[in-house]
Amino acid sequence: MKWNGRTRCALVCVFFALLFSVFSYRLIHLQMVMHNYYSQLAAEKNVGRNVIPAERGAIYDARHEVLAQNVPVATIVADGTLINNNAALIPLLAASLHVPPNEIAEKISSRRPYVVLKREFPDADARALEKTLQDKNLRGIRCERSTVRVYPNGPMLCHVIGFADFQQRGIQGVEASMDQYLRGEDGYRYIERDAQGREIVLYRGLERAPRNGCQVYLTIDMGLQTIVENELDAAMRDYTPIKATIILMRPQTGEILAMANRPNFDLNLRSDAKPEEMKNRAIIDMMEPGSTFKIVTAAAALNEHRVTLDTMIFCENGVWNVGGRPLHDHGHKGYGDLSVQDILVHSSNIGAAKMAVMLGEQKFYEYIRRFGFGDRTGIELPGEIRGMVHAPRSWSKISITRIPMGQEVGVTPLQMVLAMATVANGGKLIQPRVVKTVIDDKGKALGVLRPTVVRQVISPQTASQIAQALRGVVSKRGTAAEAAVPGFTMSGKTGTAQKAAPGGGYEKNKYVVSFSGFLPSENPAFVGLVVLDDAHTKDPALNYGGTVAGPIFSRVAEQAARYLDLEPHEEIGTPATAGRVALTNAHR
Amino acid sequence: MNRHRRRNFNPINAPSLARWIVIIAFLATTGLSYVYLSVQLHHQGVQRRLLEQELIATRMQNEDAKVQFAALTSRTALQRRLKEGYLKMIPITEQNIVRLNSSARPAGEDDLQPVANQQGRQ
Repeated sequence: MKWNGRTRCALVCVFFALLFSVFSYRLIHLQMVMHNYYSQLAAEKNVGRNVIPAERGAIYDARHEVLAQNVPVATIVADGTLINNNAALIPLLAASLHVPPNEIAEKISSRRPYVVLKREFPDADARALEKTLQDKNLRGIRCERSTVRVYPNGPMLCHVIGFADFQQRGIQGVEASMDQYLRGEDGYRYIERDAQGREIVLYRGLERAPRNGCQVYLTIDMGLQTIVENELDAAMRDYTPIKATIILMRPQTGEILAMANRPNFDLNLRSDAKPEEMKNRAIIDMMEPGSTFKIVTAAAALNEHRVTLDTMIFCENGVWNVGGRPLHDHGHKGYGDLSVQDILVHSSNIGAAKMAVMLGEQKFYEYIRRFGFGDRTGIELPGEIRGMVHAPRSWSKISITRIPMGQEVGVTPLQMVLAMATVANGGKLIQPRVVKTVIDDKGKALGVLRPTVVRQVISPQTASQIAQALRGVVSKRGTAAEAAVPGFTMSGKTGTAQKAAPGGGYEKNKYVVSFSGFLPSENPAFVGLVVLDDAHTKDPALNYGGTVAGPIFSRVAEQAARYLDLEPHEEIGTPATAGRVALTNAHR
Repeated sequence: MNRHRRRNFNPINAPSLARWIVIIAFLATTGLSYVYLSVQLHHQGVQRRLLEQELIATRMQNEDAKVQFAALTSRTALQRRLKEGYLKMIPITEQNIVRLNSSARPAGEDDLQPVANQQGRQ
């Protein structure tokens, strides 16, 4: 072979041909054989699924007052792999985030791609920080937007509203029970980023807009709730009970107008709350109802035509020995013959027991269950209990004389107010509800909740007779004259139950006092219940439902009647304003 | 002389040259347009992202304002201001209220209440 110019030229050509063949092979290998592998690798590095968080729906009262809403915040995150100037970044972040510089230095020097520097940072401050970082060309810090839940009224209505956790999941109250409507659905967007981590909008992939949570409107009227809360605070100050509850409800529809418990807690400071403060005692506390339960006994006896309002029953002059155990009327004050109406007015235990005996165990038990005791009411609040009603086969010999006066049964305050609402509502048991309507993010109502009649418990005539009899309770000869409301007809019943001891029996001088009633008697605008557990009065002899809970109810009802613009009856005299019984430790 | 010049003259295939010029111009314009439009798309994308960020920021500010508004007008806040003396309420006594008809609960909660100030009527 001649080593001339032509040969050299051919050799160079062959060399380049081989070289480009190698390149071509490599290109084909990369682009075709390894295509999936490298695409995946590139996607992992540059393409991401960006979650667009849905906004949690707000909660409003019946008059559209905001009860729970979201406030925008930011989580400040450091990406250690992108940070370019530690020296400038540390003092800036320390000053903006109010975090010690050494803590910042420790976090950002870790070189990890995701380090949280600060949570729940105010959005306005985050925007200012972003601008400063941009101006100074500092990289590696980003602000992830989110929201936190705030409750403008703090502790007011805390047990009904409940709260959501940091992941915006409902934990208690309506926040938990309506969580599926409130939380909405997150959207997403597939995005590609450039080498500096900025989104390349041109290469946006599949995306779906978020569906924001629905707005939930409650039946609660904050005007009435304020009245109830203020009176409850006053009661806690004056009588220092260990717990207290007030409920107001519209009997025709079952709408809860106000519901408050003590102790309570501030929804915005829930991490400081004790478990005892977080319980909605209106639905999870079981109590012996005491004499308020006599409405069930009397209604059953009247409805079964065993008695009429005028039927006279001998009340054994104050002591009735039955089953080897004496049954007393309160205060050992003896009554002779009393009409059924007067048995309610004077709250005679013996009279109530005799009515239950006339009914028989099975029938009486049926009526207790028909009034809703022993079942959950179905209100849209989590954690409701059934209460405790034993079947007749578990009753002792004296149970038929004790249950009629509200012993040996456990009821929730809500069940008790429902029983009174049944009387107020012509004998219909209505399902209580706290949610009025749910409206989606496009403003469309998902459904307005209609009143649900659970059953006709007693006839309208019987209900009317009981309402008539209960008017006497708040008259001068009744047990709760101080519960009367000036200018209005009113029906109600007092209850004074000895507290059941944990080991059996009853605790001495510890009572659960209550008053339940409705106003006006003829066409009730609301039914209410006041319960105080272990109230303290200077004179223990005055620790009764009629003297402690009755006046509280009167004050609540009077203000509520004004608020609801109920027309007073001119012919009804104005009794003295209900006062509080002699004061307690708090004022001693 | 003229004959000699004509003999040395290279004839130009004008139509072919024109065709090539058009093709090259077309390809160049297409390429430049592609580059220009790509850059425009990127630019629009950046603009879109900035607008989106602005929109989010405005929405956040709006949310912030709504929260502040709710906090300042909540019952708890108003009660506090009432106690502090920033607000005053004048109670309307029963004598100053005249009911024109029965105060049965209206169907719509936002309906006007049928009441009037008696003194105002005189």
